[in-house]
Amino acid sequence: MLRAALLAGAEHSVNRALRLDPTALPRLARLGGRVIEIDCTAPAWRLFLLADSEGLRLAGDWGSEPDCRLRAPATSLVKLAASRNKTAILHGPDVEIEGDSSALMSLAEVLQDLELDWEYEVSRLLGPVATQLLASGLRAQAGWLRQSAESLRQDLADYLNEESRALVGSDEAETRFAELDRLKLDLDRLEARVERLAHHLTPDRSE
Amino acid sequence: MTDPRKEHDAEPTTHFGYKNVPESKKAEKVAEVFHSVAAKYDLMNDLMSGGVHRLWKRFTIELSGARHGNRVLDIAGGTGDLTRQFSRIVGPTGEVVLADINASMLKVGRDRLLDKGVAGNVKFVQADAEKLPFPDNHFDVVTIAFGLRNVTHKEDAIASMLRVLKPGGRLLVLEFSKPTNPLFSKAYDAYSFSLLPMMGKLITNDSESYRYLAESIRMHPDQETLKGMMVDAGFERVTYHNMTGGIVALHRGIKP
Repeated sequence: MLRAALLAGAEHSVNRALRLDPTALPRLARLGGRVIEIDCTAPAWRLFLLADSEGLRLAGDWGSEPDCRLRAPATSLVKLAASRNKTAILHGPDVEIEGDSSALMSLAEVLQDLELDWEYEVSRLLGPVATQLLASGLRAQAGWLRQSAESLRQDLADYLNEESRALVGSDEAETRFAELDRLKLDLDRLEARVERLAHHLTPDRSE
Repeated sequence: MTDPRKEHDAEPTTHFGYKNVPESKKAEKVAEVFHSVAAKYDLMNDLMSGGVHRLWKRFTIELSGARHGNRVLDIAGGTGDLTRQFSRIVGPTGEVVLADINASMLKVGRDRLLDKGVAGNVKFVQADAEKLPFPDNHFDVVTIAFGLRNVTHKEDAIASMLRVLKPGGRLLVLEFSKPTNPLFSKAYDAYSFSLLPMMGKLITNDSESYRYLAESIRMHPDQETLKGMMVDAGFERVTYHNMTGGIVALHRGIKP
């Protein structure tokens, strides 16, 4: 019962998040209630997912065969959830897929592409004016943070390159690299010339 | 052929809670109980179980294994908790029939589902579980949640459910049962015979209906007996799961 209660809570939160993305639910509806089983081998647990137009249903058991079964250890499941390149992980040696893998891939794509419209959700609680003020405040804060981080990065780079001389500056490095390239090309030309001279000086055996 | 139940002058009796009543009167008396509690049925369910009845029903849905496009019969569906979930699972290509013998409960269930926008794939049928008005081999899943103990002839109802199920179809019986721990059982008795009628009195002004509830639970077959009844009716792979210490059990059987 505890597990059912936890899953019910998780399902409620997941569906709340899914409702914040206007494209997520229509995309889930296309899965047409297909049942996906996630069978974790280490540690052993199972989770069933059913996707439909109202969101996801999470179940600890399901009384009929799933359309797709993904069997993998927890480490691979975590990697799968976090990675953008899911195909590489799905082709790993410790991951098994049975049944219709397109259902699993579609579900993974929907979850990966989630773009939560948090302003809409907040506006339902605070109203449009307060939300606008909050949102512009947060955006200004975010902009200031981004600018500060960029400025800090620049200052640190200048200090390390110019003041402490602990690192070589990028302009200086570029100049040196260009000189090295030129030197390498000159050497190549010289080598070719020496080779040609050597060829001229060697008596031709065929004559 | 003569009906053996009519051979004797005295009508056979059955239990209604701890009382014995003529068989023909039980349905009527059960109907009175539900007419009385229908309006506040959900509120009372939440109060009596502390909301846990939602988890029991959730587990029932999980074990049903219902799929997109399935046909589901929810007998004694009452206010439509299971029907609502099944309607979502079976989708527009499936069908859910909410059946209840009690017109008041069916009306509350229908209004509640329509208010929540559940429509299109749901039908409402006033029907007796002992004589289901559906063709043979018709449903993929049949559920009866907290309804079987109110049925006069349980064997007839189980046989009727078997008949309407497709081969491979699943029957799920969610019903109060016998707590497995004797100590817990004593606490449960104290709760259901003193607190429950008091809550009934406060909320619905009807303590008798909730006294009937407590008594009918005690008169209902225990886990093993109900399992035996399902096996005798012809179900296969019959299993049951105790929930909340056996206060409630979920029986599942598959039609061969």
